[in-house]
Amino acid sequence: MKYMLLIYEPEDVYEGPEGQKALGEIVAKHMKLGEDLRAAAVAFGGAPLQGSATATTVRTGPDGAQTLHDGPFAETREHLGGYYEIEVENLDQAIQWARQVPVMPGGMIEVRPHAVYG
Amino acid sequence: MSTWGQLIAAARPHVIAALAARLRDLDMAEDAFADASAAALVAWPIEAPRDPAAWLWRASLRRALDAKRRAAVRDHAVYDAPESPPTPEEALMAADQPIPDERLRLIFVCCHPAIAPESRAALTLKVVCGLSTERLARAFFIAEPAMLQRITRAKRKIAAAGVPFEVPGREAWPERLEAVLSTLEVAYVQAYEDAALAGEAAGFADEVLRLSGLLAELAPHEPEVLGFAALVRLAEARRPARLDDAGAMVPPDRQDLTLWNGGLIRDGAALLARAANLGRSGPRQILAAIHATHCARAESGRTDWPAIAALYDILADLRPHAAIAVNRAVAIGEAFGADAGLTQLAKVQGMDGWLPFQVALAALSAKAGRLEPAAAAYEAALALNPAPAERLYLEARRRDLGGSSQPVRRGDG
Repeated sequence: MKYMLLIYEPEDVYEGPEGQKALGEIVAKHMKLGEDLRAAAVAFGGAPLQGSATATTVRTGPDGAQTLHDGPFAETREHLGGYYEIEVENLDQAIQWARQVPVMPGGMIEVRPHAVYG
Repeated sequence: MSTWGQLIAAARPHVIAALAARLRDLDMAEDAFADASAAALVAWPIEAPRDPAAWLWRASLRRALDAKRRAAVRDHAVYDAPESPPTPEEALMAADQPIPDERLRLIFVCCHPAIAPESRAALTLKVVCGLSTERLARAFFIAEPAMLQRITRAKRKIAAAGVPFEVPGREAWPERLEAVLSTLEVAYVQAYEDAALAGEAAGFADEVLRLSGLLAELAPHEPEVLGFAALVRLAEARRPARLDDAGAMVPPDRQDLTLWNGGLIRDGAALLARAANLGRSGPRQILAAIHATHCARAESGRTDWPAIAALYDILADLRPHAAIAVNRAVAIGEAFGADAGLTQLAKVQGMDGWLPFQVALAALSAKAGRLEPAAAAYEAALALNPAPAERLYLEARRRDLGGSSQPVRRGDG
């Protein structure tokens, strides 16, 4: 099955000189995770995303009219910061990989299976 | 007819588990078993089955595979489908092999940490023990549609999220067994609290007794599994003595020893000893040891309260919950005097509206000779709507104190 591992983190942890240092360490851990996934022959993809300040939201109203908004759709402290997509046997394996996705304290990984139709 | 029904019920956990493991679909397993059971009730009175479980297993699996084939034909619109070659399942059925024991696997599926904790106990009792949604709804104090939705949602998550129908690897057992044990514990607490009160959950104490024994058989080297099986046996052993003739609750140290079940006490003590030999303590073993100490009164003639208080000290470290702290204060009060107990109870904050807190406060105050606070606490407890057996007990204790105030009477609502 294919699973999305959605990375949610408070964004302010990467601000300032300390934050930049932390970011460097986290990026190195992501590189290592990529190597581990390849070594385990797990098909995967993914990307880091730019900060939520760069987000633009297209909203469709009840009448179908579309409007544009500056910013992400939800005002929360944690924002979607990136994702992996992995193909593994089952939820337990997906959770095993999710545990290895590096995050700063307060970060969360949401594990979501792809929907399969037909 | 009821004998056939009992045979079906007895075979159910084994057969459902084998079906679910094979089909990897809980609904399909339950549906197929229900169909096969209906067929059994027609067929068995005419010709009794040699092995009812094997009969049900073959009949359920055949029905499930037929249903799967029909669905596949429908979904893929195969016209004039050729006769399919025999599947491994059919070969297996023809070979009349014993039913694989997949019950542990099924318990791990129903108690997966990805399932909401409040759903796990209900799902396990439903799927593994076959309890009806209606009965579960009453036992867990929610409306039947809400219980049905809870179970349906949990099943859908298992199927859609890809919860594996596997016993997890050994390295995952500590976490996964914890989820299983806490699930069974939730179920048992329901049953235990209700037991004295003869309510809806009382019946599934038997199911938890059976499941905990099964788990102890399947995971004999896990001390907390053995400890939990011991706990359930030692607590169930005293069930017949927990109500007096008038239907009032009787606390353990006043129960009639001749009503205790010696067989269950011996089984529980043996399990606890095996757990202790494994050398890894845990909260369920400590709880079992507390029950065992109560049961030891059958031999010694007295309750060893200092030992119980010492066990609660350990338990309070492992589980820093208010409920444990209240029970610990009561044990300290019995062991070292009511004032010592009251001192400990005073450290439990913010639980004034909780029935066991008021009951403990009342008992300890009465024991310390502080009759007015004791009466006030009994009345506070009675106002918190205790179950009938506990109400009778508390009213009697309140009367023992004398004084002018009448016990508070409240409706059943």
